[in-house]
Amino acid sequence: MNKQAMWAIAKKDMKAIGANLQVWLPMLILPALLGVVLPGVIIGLTAFMSMDSPDMQEMAAWVSKINLGPISAKLAAMTSLNQQIAFVVANYMLAPFFVLIPLMTASVVSADSFAGEKERGTFETLLFAPVDLKSLFAGKFLASFIPAVGLSLASFVLCGITVNALGWKLFRGIFFPQLNWLPMILLVMPLLSAGAVLANVFISAKVSSFQAAYQMGGVLVLPFLLLLVGQMSGVLVLGTGALLAIAAVLAVIDAILLQLLLKNLNRTALFESQVR
Amino acid sequence: MSENMIELNHISKRFGNHPVLTDFSMTVGRGEIVGLLGPNGSGKTTSIRLVNGVMRADAGSITVAGYDPVHDGEAIRRLSGILTETAGFYLNMTGLENLRFFAELYGVTETQRPLALLEEFGLTDAKEKKVGTYSTGMKKRLGLAKALLHRPEILFLDEPTNGLDPEGIRMVIEYITRLNRRDGTTIVLCSHLLQQMEEVCHRYVFLQGGRVIEQGTHAELEARYIKEATLRVETRAGVAEHKLPGRQAVPAFLRELTQREEVFGATLVNQDLESLYFKIREVAGRE
Repeated sequence: MNKQAMWAIAKKDMKAIGANLQVWLPMLILPALLGVVLPGVIIGLTAFMSMDSPDMQEMAAWVSKINLGPISAKLAAMTSLNQQIAFVVANYMLAPFFVLIPLMTASVVSADSFAGEKERGTFETLLFAPVDLKSLFAGKFLASFIPAVGLSLASFVLCGITVNALGWKLFRGIFFPQLNWLPMILLVMPLLSAGAVLANVFISAKVSSFQAAYQMGGVLVLPFLLLLVGQMSGVLVLGTGALLAIAAVLAVIDAILLQLLLKNLNRTALFESQVR
Repeated sequence: MSENMIELNHISKRFGNHPVLTDFSMTVGRGEIVGLLGPNGSGKTTSIRLVNGVMRADAGSITVAGYDPVHDGEAIRRLSGILTETAGFYLNMTGLENLRFFAELYGVTETQRPLALLEEFGLTDAKEKKVGTYSTGMKKRLGLAKALLHRPEILFLDEPTNGLDPEGIRMVIEYITRLNRRDGTTIVLCSHLLQQMEEVCHRYVFLQGGRVIEQGTHAELEARYIKEATLRVETRAGVAEHKLPGRQAVPAFLRELTQREEVFGATLVNQDLESLYFKIREVAGRE
């Protein structure tokens, strides 16, 4: 592996993201919206709305129906319904947002990884360089993985600040995140980002335009949208066990994708995919 | 120049049903400057891609400095510098950033090398400007600088003077010649500008429809194809063309003519590369 070339490619691509407003602005909007604005609005409403309102009554009924396992005792000890709702919403209902954020930010950058080079007419020059394809792919992987995970973590930290600030009135202390977030942040988020990047880089290497790569890569988001609906409706609540199981499945998928990618590395095929 | 640096033996390559190269054989000696000549689509660019291992031939064998591009492509690409027709730069990066990026890819350890090359090709003032703002000629010169970053032993130049002004063309031609003489760099040059090819190339390979139709030095080709010399002579009476039975007849003809008339100039007009090019294509067309 040519580490010098790998980092040169990764740095070049990441710098290109930073230099292009049309790329980084949408990349920031999504995490800001899902990671900060939406959680802020939800927690703000639960913290400041009167429990007499029909909406809050409905939410209280919804919380009481959800099976939260070991957390139920903790909830029972809380003095107000507002506290219970805010606690459950912050610590359980926001999880799918942090599935979508890495998935979608990773998709934008990685769809452009090879297809963008082809569209800009720079791919031929890269393939003429004495860089092995593993290093080339690793550079492209890092250029998407680092911003995706970085943005996801940053939005999580900002989410924490927002949620705790808005919930301060209720808890007089930090109530988010609870330990159940550990597998989410340390395992699911990076593994999911890695999987999304691997899949999108693979697609991007095969097709000849960014648009085609992005559209094909977009299909990957669909199953996770179902997860979002399931979680928000209370049908599926991701506890620590479920998250660990998801992380294990993702690790297997990532390993398969990596093997598939390494097996299909072929300079001639890559070169011919960009000849118009 | 006897040792072959590049050898292509009976190469065939198709894109789908379309044959691009057919039974294509050529050699390039170490330290030679060889010109690939032929119309668009004759296989010049494809042969460069095959030699560098970014494409695979359907049949035949290739060796470059003893390496096989199929298995040792990376070793070949380390030895080679390539200027492609489009140069392939990142337009949102400056000239210097582009060269520094490619220097890292090529493992160049001399940190001042990009700056030295920018200076050599008259781009120092534009080094901090984005390549997107460069003129075609500037991009071409930057492309040449990129190809030379790692001091390659073999240089592949695809249309290196396209888009250059006369000063730029002169600069590139002189640089190529100097590089070959100073470092012994083997150079494969593709161009449609035959006059420039004639100034720098030691040998020529003529391509047509993906086949090599002829190869040799200027003298060898001239001996094979030019049976009659046309001498354009300027005298007090004006300019006249004289048909002679070969270039060896020129000195005697001029001796005799200068005894009778004042001769201001004399040029052989049918022995330049352009004449050879059309003659060779005409003969190949007949066959």
